[in-house]
Amino acid sequence: MENKHITIFHGPQHPGITGNMSVELNLIGETIQKATTHVGYLHRGFEKLIERRTVIQAFTIVCRICVPEPDPNEVNFAMAVEELAGLKVTPRAQYIRVMVLELSRLAAQFLWMAGQSGSIGLYAVGQWAIADRDLILDLFEELTGARVYHMYIYPGGVRRNLPEGFLERVSKLLEYMQKRLKNYDDIFINNASFKNRAIGVGVISKEEAIANGYVGQILRGCGIKADVRKDAPYLVYNELEFEVPTQSSGDVYARALVRRDEMDQSIHILEQVVTKMPEGEVMIKMPTHRKFKLPKDDTWVKVESTRGEFAYYMAGDGSEKIRRMQVRGPSLVHAYTLLEDLLVGAELSDVALIMNSLGICPPEIER
Amino acid sequence: MFKKIKSHFATDDVEVKRQDLYKVGVRYDRLFELIHMLRDEYDYKILNAITCTDWIEEGHFALTYMLTTLDRKHTFMIQTMITREDAHAKTLSEEFKQAQIMERDLHEMYGIDFIGNENLKELSLENWVHTPPLRREFDTLEFVNNHLTFREGRDDNVDTKAESKRLRALKKAEKEAAKKAKEKAETKEIKDGE
Repeated sequence: MENKHITIFHGPQHPGITGNMSVELNLIGETIQKATTHVGYLHRGFEKLIERRTVIQAFTIVCRICVPEPDPNEVNFAMAVEELAGLKVTPRAQYIRVMVLELSRLAAQFLWMAGQSGSIGLYAVGQWAIADRDLILDLFEELTGARVYHMYIYPGGVRRNLPEGFLERVSKLLEYMQKRLKNYDDIFINNASFKNRAIGVGVISKEEAIANGYVGQILRGCGIKADVRKDAPYLVYNELEFEVPTQSSGDVYARALVRRDEMDQSIHILEQVVTKMPEGEVMIKMPTHRKFKLPKDDTWVKVESTRGEFAYYMAGDGSEKIRRMQVRGPSLVHAYTLLEDLLVGAELSDVALIMNSLGICPPEIER
Repeated sequence: MFKKIKSHFATDDVEVKRQDLYKVGVRYDRLFELIHMLRDEYDYKILNAITCTDWIEEGHFALTYMLTTLDRKHTFMIQTMITREDAHAKTLSEEFKQAQIMERDLHEMYGIDFIGNENLKELSLENWVHTPPLRREFDTLEFVNNHLTFREGRDDNVDTKAESKRLRALKKAEKEAAKKAKEKAETKEIKDGE
């Protein structure tokens, strides 16, 4: 029987899609001939909303730009405002910010593990990972009052000091995580069912990754040691020791190994933060929010999120409102320039696997 | 590098913003020459982003290109001004593949025509025929009032003061009715007892 072209939509509502977006797939049999990304299902106009609000009012919505990992948005926003306004944050606040960022990185990696394993039908891993992520969210709830959208890394510092005994509870959780992660190696990373599906799938070459400006695990999975925390250190990352894990094969499995190693590195960073946490204030004196004006100037700040370099462009115009703020997450380029190419020639059953390994987050595409 | 940029591109608008961040302002007709020079001579081979700021009072858009070195240690913000009326610029997608989607995004949000970009189709807005939404003259509230209607019974459409007054009155009436029913029942009990 002759194979005919068929077109199907993968998403926007699909368990194998990472958020509300869809990929239009043109298939012959089960092999993809052409892939076209479509977004627009959750455009909320953040960048427009921000232009009409005062600085502090705008702060309340930035964390909503990415659900799995809101904290890089908060810290980018805070760093951009502080740089434009010439504010300097206390050392304790900087250490607390690093702690929140690394805890949030761990939580996001667990969420990735749930998605990545679910994409090949290993649902037990997902249930474990969500339960373990909850332990981190418990700490967030205690520290910030919220589990997901913390609104904690405020321009000028952090919103409140650490509760009594909090660092001990972090240490206890880290001890648990170190033991627990070995179980994930057995059930997921070293599992033959995952290896068979992931090795040699979704391969990205080193040259292509560099030329097209890909970031995060995509670069590190091709053997390039790229990490904003090392390349252009922010907060107090230059005072902390950690490695940038890399792999060389550039496939889904390489990216998974990189992410798994990064979890160990996050734990290592958190251990140092707990021991080195300085005493002092966590918030500097800020101007009244209605009188808080940003000068006519612009800046570009970036952090390393779980999915790679995450940057903000911010411009002030001398008024209380932000003139322009652009969110530049890794997903815009990954979902279009990369995904549309990578899916050509892949099998239909591998779409979810590949998408999850890229960690695409649609809200940061259509801000 | 700064000296060469200043003399070659006749600009004093070069600034060190941070240890890892520099900014240069350049005339639009020299923009691509500068980008090529930074890419070929100084290793700024990665395009991170293209962004636009609307300076409506001054009648222009500020287009900013972020280029990073291969070792990712330095970023250059290259800014140029283009007029708001009939806004257009040459595409950068021949030099950097990722520029294609960045320009498509800016085309949708600001209406800038990137000449040579093969795909400037709608991205996240569907069948949009109004002013591009990130232009300063686009007023969100006015757009909502003119083009959208609130659904009947939606909380957004409720006059909260009148509604809470109504709810309070309702609660009070219920309480009184319960009180009356109780009194009636008690009177009945007494009568039955007698």
